[in-house]
Amino acid sequence: MTVLHSPAPGHDERSRRGARALLGRLDGPAPWIGLGARLVVGGVWVVAALLKLPDPQGSVQAVRNYQVLPESVVPMLGHLLPAVELALGLLLLLGLLTRQAAVVSAVLLAVFVVAIAQVWARGINTNCGCFGGEGPVAHPQLAYFTEILRDLGLLALSVWLVVRPRTRLALDPVLFPATAVVPDESEEG
Amino acid sequence: MAKKQNTSNERAARAAAALAAQQKAEKRRNLITVVSVVAVLVLVIGGVYVYLTNLDDPADVAAAGAGEGTYGVTIGDDDAPHSLVIYEDFLCPYCGEFESATRTKLEKAANAGNVQIEYRPFNLLSSISDYSERSASAFFVVLDKEGPTVAKKFHDILYENQPSEDSETFPDNQQLLDWAVEAGADEDTVSDGILNESKKAFVAKATTAATDAGVQGTPTVILDGEQVSGSSVDDIAQTVIDTVS
Repeated sequence: MTVLHSPAPGHDERSRRGARALLGRLDGPAPWIGLGARLVVGGVWVVAALLKLPDPQGSVQAVRNYQVLPESVVPMLGHLLPAVELALGLLLLLGLLTRQAAVVSAVLLAVFVVAIAQVWARGINTNCGCFGGEGPVAHPQLAYFTEILRDLGLLALSVWLVVRPRTRLALDPVLFPATAVVPDESEEG
Repeated sequence: MAKKQNTSNERAARAAAALAAQQKAEKRRNLITVVSVVAVLVLVIGGVYVYLTNLDDPADVAAAGAGEGTYGVTIGDDDAPHSLVIYEDFLCPYCGEFESATRTKLEKAANAGNVQIEYRPFNLLSSISDYSERSASAFFVVLDKEGPTVAKKFHDILYENQPSEDSETFPDNQQLLDWAVEAGADEDTVSDGILNESKKAFVAKATTAATDAGVQGTPTVILDGEQVSGSSVDDIAQTVIDTVS
């Protein structure tokens, strides 16, 4: 009667299937697609954050340009967003707390889509500030359209990760191994 | 038979107990891992947030007070109680909005001796059109040749006729010259400078000076040494007018 972390061969199949069912199976193409989704979405978040780090005032101005939030929270949000984006991107790149990070990612992207849509609808001309930078742009409507398309694409990848958080080359299974197996000896008798 | 059944039951019970104990241990371990990861996350987010907040000191905009700049037109008395500096771009729609929201009231306040105002145009929107640069150049030609009164009038006319950023074509130099003449400039005096964009280098210096002062966008409004911020241009305009009127 030993508690095993790596189940001995022979009587592990059913338990392993049970454990896998918790997080989704690791075979087939889905975990590879998940890895790609993690790298793309996580990479975009990290790049977006890093580009804003040298210019916090730009980040604040970008938030302000959306003309939605009261000035009392604009500077705080302008400083907080790059920090959250960086943390979120690192989690996704590492494959750590993948599902939770993907939920936050999807929510943030949905908020961004709504924010861009409302400046578009109100006829305000601003750079989205997505990757730093701010202020008016030459062809705002085209820019808003492509920004919304891009965010929707990233949103779709995030939702994929919410549904299938089990991916290749991730830290989650290392830090949170599937429930280990107690050999069920009654099966032998 | 009965004995075997007992042994089997005991085994099953022991197995169940072991499983429960292990699941409990794993739950605890997973909880500790999650708490550790979240703690690291909070440190990362908090660290970056504090870093950005410190980097974005409002004192970053270290602009000279009204009447002390090299690259602007000043109205109002030197000894007025309030000093207002406005960094702007002739193409920037928010600047146009700010202008139309404040011009009359600010002129009144300046004439009453309540405020000294310096308008500092520079070339922010070079990525959209060269209109920003050409109009600023023309402005500095007029300021140089005709003085602040005509230059301020020219400045006002430029905003009254501000082209949209989406325009296919922007007002040409001849149009700028016509507006300068309308503002009261002598055509022969300013035409060479405006048509040949002779103050382009000066505009570049004005732009560098603005950037060096920490100006990141337009309009940047500095009232008594503090940058005025607001949720909208109208909000900023209101703050300024309430203070100086």
